[in-house]
Amino acid sequence: MGLADAFYNSIVRRNSIYVSSIFAGAFAFGVGLDLGVSSFWDRWNRGRQWKDIRAKYSEAASE
Amino acid sequence: MVVGLRAVKTAVNLPPTVRILPSGVPHASLIKLSVRAPASDHHGHGSTGPRSDKPAKWAAKTYLGAGGLVQKSNVNAPPTAHIHPRLMHTSAVALNANHVPDFSPYRASSDSGNRALSYFMVGSMGVISASTAKSTITEFLGTMAASADVLALAKVEIELGDIPEGKNVIIKWRGKPVFVRHRTADEIEEARQTDWKKLRDPQSDEERTKKPEWLVMLGVCTHLGCVPIGESGDFGGWFCPCHGSHYDISGRARKGPAPSNLEVPPHDFNEAEGKLIIG
Repeated sequence: MGLADAFYNSIVRRNSIYVSSIFAGAFAFGVGLDLGVSSFWDRWNRGRQWKDIRAKYSEAASE
Repeated sequence: MVVGLRAVKTAVNLPPTVRILPSGVPHASLIKLSVRAPASDHHGHGSTGPRSDKPAKWAAKTYLGAGGLVQKSNVNAPPTAHIHPRLMHTSAVALNANHVPDFSPYRASSDSGNRALSYFMVGSMGVISASTAKSTITEFLGTMAASADVLALAKVEIELGDIPEGKNVIIKWRGKPVFVRHRTADEIEEARQTDWKKLRDPQSDEERTKKPEWLVMLGVCTHLGCVPIGESGDFGGWFCPCHGSHYDISGRARKGPAPSNLEVPPHDFNEAEGKLIIG
């Protein structure tokens, strides 16, 4: 259980480090969740969003 | 049978008695109390066949031995009928009642791994809780901010044709009073002739008005926020009754404690419809 002991000794043993890493993890989790959900949304709606089809219309307008 | 499968062997001293069956007959598995005298095959019936009530020779035989009547069964056939074991029975023997149950299948294989997993779960809960709290607060504060469309609507339009020359109109814009003055030619002349460079808050009349006949400014005294009174004061403009600040016909602070001129809000004129748009 080298991984488990490394985790316990490096993060959990001191409560200050534990709590700070929880907050840092919450920040990273929030950012990651936002990015992940946005990319999933863009992939799911590919070709249907304005940013995907703007090129067609702006070309048509300039011609 | 259950006892035979148990891993732990227990030595039991049985009392030297036998169990009494409910019928009153002592239970002795190796003693067959129902055995009868050995019957001859013939017994006066001739040799037509074996007796119907006598088991076949290969299955069992009964004979008078030296020690007494002996029956020997060679076949131990299981009962062919269904057996209904009564598993839930109040008088069932409690097996191993004094023993602690065996929890070994439930124990964690490694103490350190178990500890790390527990703390990891607690920490993950904390991460998700903190993230939820943060986004809750952020979204709640976001509801307090005015959105762009609300700001775009926070404008006021005034019909300029309704305001005769030399009159003040006070309207409300974003919760604050706004003075609109249709100035006469004399007042414009007076406002422009003033030596504004020596004033407390030097500002020319051209800077303060987009069209010289229309003066638009916030009706909030720059001293402590009272609403000045129009067409009064020493300079023919506005006078604040709270602490005696005087403003001239261009809204500039001339006398009293006011530190700066009355503020001019962003405004525009719609020439085609004759409207003033504040905001």
